[in-house]
Amino acid sequence: MKSAQFSVTSRLDGDAAVIYPKGYLNNLSGKSMVTECGSYINQGISKIVVNFSETDLINSIGISMLLQIIEDLRNIKGTICCTNMSKFLRETFEMLGLIKYMVVFPVESDALKYLKARKA
Amino acid sequence: MPSNTIAADVFLNREAELNYLKSLPKLKGRALGGNVYLDGAKGIGKTELLKQLHRELFREGQIVPFYYSFKTANLKGAYFAKDYFTRFVRQYISFLKKDPSIEENVAEPISRLFPAIIALGLHWLIDCIEDFQSHANKNDFYWQLVAATSVPVVAAQRSGMPVVVMLDDFDFAEGIYESSRGDTHGLASLFGVSMQNRLCPHIIAGATGALKAVFIEHCLLDMTEQLRLGPLPEDLAVSLFRSHLANLEIASAPDTQLAFLNTLRGNPLYIRNIAKAAWKMQKKELTEKDLVECYSFDVSEGETASYWSSIFNHHVMNPTKRKALLKLLWRIIENQEMEDLGRLALLSGFNEVEVGAIREAIDASGIIGDNNVLFKDFIRASYMKEIEGRYPRDVREKIEKKYLPEREESCFELVIPMSSNAELVVAKAVEQIGRNIDLDSEFLNQLQLALIEVCINAMEHSGSYEKKVFLKFTIRPDEIEMTIESSGRPFSLDLQTEIPVEEKLRMGMKRGWGFKLVSSIMDRVKVERAGDRTKVILTKKIRNNEVLK
Repeated sequence: MKSAQFSVTSRLDGDAAVIYPKGYLNNLSGKSMVTECGSYINQGISKIVVNFSETDLINSIGISMLLQIIEDLRNIKGTICCTNMSKFLRETFEMLGLIKYMVVFPVESDALKYLKARKA
Repeated sequence: MPSNTIAADVFLNREAELNYLKSLPKLKGRALGGNVYLDGAKGIGKTELLKQLHRELFREGQIVPFYYSFKTANLKGAYFAKDYFTRFVRQYISFLKKDPSIEENVAEPISRLFPAIIALGLHWLIDCIEDFQSHANKNDFYWQLVAATSVPVVAAQRSGMPVVVMLDDFDFAEGIYESSRGDTHGLASLFGVSMQNRLCPHIIAGATGALKAVFIEHCLLDMTEQLRLGPLPEDLAVSLFRSHLANLEIASAPDTQLAFLNTLRGNPLYIRNIAKAAWKMQKKELTEKDLVECYSFDVSEGETASYWSSIFNHHVMNPTKRKALLKLLWRIIENQEMEDLGRLALLSGFNEVEVGAIREAIDASGIIGDNNVLFKDFIRASYMKEIEGRYPRDVREKIEKKYLPEREESCFELVIPMSSNAELVVAKAVEQIGRNIDLDSEFLNQLQLALIEVCINAMEHSGSYEKKVFLKFTIRPDEIEMTIESSGRPFSLDLQTEIPVEEKLRMGMKRGWGFKLVSSIMDRVKVERAGDRTKVILTKKIRNNEVLK
């Protein structure tokens, strides 16, 4: 556990948005992540990569916010990829049955390659 | 007669005493005795024995049972006389008509029973009622008392059917007064007249020491034998406890011997109270440790504590004197000896004469000499709460420590406010604790998540006015235990409800992961209640691969 201060940054890579949640993913930070993703979805982006490399800790409210993003993307037939997850985070998502609603890659570049390939 | 008698199969090991009491009319008829002074420690089952006797005599229909408890009686003479008289009339008609509802319906005026009395041909009873009313109308205090106490004798003589008179908590009878407390003494001796009657055996029950004081009246003493009610044997105490647990749908953990029950010295009241404490604390599978926890709760905040407190309050109504008495008793208990009067007076705040009187009363009651461990723990708990101003949880822990074996463990305690992100402080703490014993970081992440979930639940759902969460981390060689305690509402149900992900996606509600997360991560999750507090105990085994090499 490093820093508790949460922030969300993002960038656009082709037709995919990459989200970087940093710190403790709880209700407040989860909401800002949902808002961030929502702004891309509103622009017509349907491919989102969430890079968890800077996420220290998560709670159930943060998880529920992630589920909200999954639902928003499902509604527009979009795709969510999760990358750079710690073993703990991956196991938690598996335990909760969330993993089948996302595509998991070890690193961000693999996810972007996969999404580009899907374009074709 | 109270109708909440326990089932006959749960009433254990008193058959000999019950049969003896049933034979009293026969003994009395042959002038071989017949009045009994039923003695025994508080809670040992005197009242219950009387209830069982009443039930059997009522069912058999050969001997009239009459039960009267002085504990709840109004001791102002005229009220007492009317209450005693009307209760007898009701119980008598109830017995003859085999209708328990008659004695239970205490609000019904006795005049409504006239048709039933006439139908039974009890014209003499109508005379008794009119005579009593006449004494009452004349405000004749003495004759009202005489008419009341002698009505069982009149009934026995007129009908030829013996009446067993059961006078429970008789030591309170010493307090009967005419118009203000303490204005009259020795009115209890009025019962001496009815005790002499050959058709009316009396069973008199009460607190050991106090009853002895009442029985200095020779008229009562000479015609009464003592019957001492002892504790339940060990095996029966365990059986009784298990049957209470079964009724409350609580199991015992495998291999639990319930050895701690020996501390209760076969006292049925305490045994029942501990079982009820387990139920209140939402225990599901009782271990020896749980038993000690139930005990500490019961003796500090539960029914046993209330029981002793009410006795305390009855004798010492003034809060300042109560505190002084508490200091005095604590001193005596902790030092295991009676110090000199001057020193005790100085420490307690009583004067020497008062200390002397209290010491005599304590000696007479036998409470301390009897090695009543439970009473001593009640005093310790009350002292810590009322004199030292400690939190209830601290008090419980102190009591528990006396009985739980020392284990190789280290403990950390933490109190956090119920404020935003306070759970991160807890997460940081558990991280450091884990590092101290070289725990793997993934393992620690899991502990952090579980802990955060329970803290969030307490903050969001408890509605606590205290606005604090108390945490305790106990680290043992093979496991880590985390206790999260807060006041307010019990552990919320939505945390315990599991909704499939697909359904969550369809519904607007995305939350409700907490319980699944916590129960999947931890090896054991226990939720308990103690008073208005909820305690969630999370236990996780430490396996070799979870410790850094």
